[in-house]
Amino acid sequence: MSFSTIATPEAKPVANYKMATRLEGGRLLYISGQVAWDASGSIVGKGDVRAQARQTFDNLRGVLRAAGGDLPNLMKITTYITKIEDFPDVAQARSEVFQGELPASTLIVVKSLFHLDFLIEVEGVAAV
Amino acid sequence: MDRREILPERPVEKGRGFMPGVSVNPSRVLFTAGLTGRNPDGSLVAGGMAPQARRTFERLQAILSQAGAKFDGVVKQLTYVTDIEAYNATGRAERAKFLGGTRSASTGLVVRRLADPAMLIEVELVVDLPGSPSRSSLLEKYNVENHPGDFHQGVIVNGGRLLYLAGQVANNPDGSVAGVGDWRRQAEKIYENIGHLLRAAGATAASAVKETTWVLSIDSWRQHSVPVRRGFYQGNFPASTLVEIPGLARPEFLAEIEVIAAVA
Repeated sequence: MSFSTIATPEAKPVANYKMATRLEGGRLLYISGQVAWDASGSIVGKGDVRAQARQTFDNLRGVLRAAGGDLPNLMKITTYITKIEDFPDVAQARSEVFQGELPASTLIVVKSLFHLDFLIEVEGVAAV
Repeated sequence: MDRREILPERPVEKGRGFMPGVSVNPSRVLFTAGLTGRNPDGSLVAGGMAPQARRTFERLQAILSQAGAKFDGVVKQLTYVTDIEAYNATGRAERAKFLGGTRSASTGLVVRRLADPAMLIEVELVVDLPGSPSRSSLLEKYNVENHPGDFHQGVIVNGGRLLYLAGQVANNPDGSVAGVGDWRRQAEKIYENIGHLLRAAGATAASAVKETTWVLSIDSWRQHSVPVRRGFYQGNFPASTLVEIPGLARPEFLAEIEVIAAVA
């Protein structure tokens, strides 16, 4: 892997994610905020955050694969949701996707996303 | 410069104004602060979304130009708006005038408030720069305008290794939240945690390149937490963005700060 994980006992994560990652070589990949649309542009799981989260992470993985990588290449993700009550479902879907530790991670509740039907958007930075 | 556009076999994303992914060989990278529609005197341009968006991109253009870059080098853009209908009606078209055919990785968010309550749009960029890093110092922090803010408008990373911190919150090592209801204490704890992580990675506060500060109240943040931030950076500020949002991962969290830094 072309990045390393930074950990320190003084600042520990509140859940199963890395606190910091450092690029050590290779290419830097910026991934657009991914949302729950399918290949034809139709929304998947309107009103169903768990279905949207699964599709969103699937799309994120699609971009990583197109760049010659996969989920382990992710250094950092930011998850934007529109309702804090959705967080448990999102966290559940996320840990189904990431079998081990998450990358460095940020969770933000925004007022809305650019399309009002979307309940979750995830962007990432990867080393590929 | 070695910019690659990453497009999976998903017809939905063909012909849109952005790319699902963009990768670069990170030899020289520019991070801008979140820029807004402010006039040179600090006031906000009149007339709403379209003039604000135009002014925002004019200012970004000046920052790119100072670094020898144009919009075709943009790797990532993050657009914060407070009014999505206004953005769709006029802001988007202003953006397109500057970005032209360039398609960068992109995220768009509707937030509760920006630095000034009348601000409708704020945009920050990550830009791939031409040239070799060998001649320059690791970080070049600069402004293209005189401004009173505690940030730099652009920070160039010449070579080195980029460091991405998870969003930092006022968390104690035992998992409890420090300073429940206390803006100043939470800021102290957050910067303490950032400091620990930077040190563990061989970095210092001066190594910070870009900071995004997410808060539940900009007014409370300014009143109670800004002195803590000033103490941390000691004048050596990164490019930064301050955004008000309705919530964070736990109801006790008042602020969350993400830092990108670089070490040799």
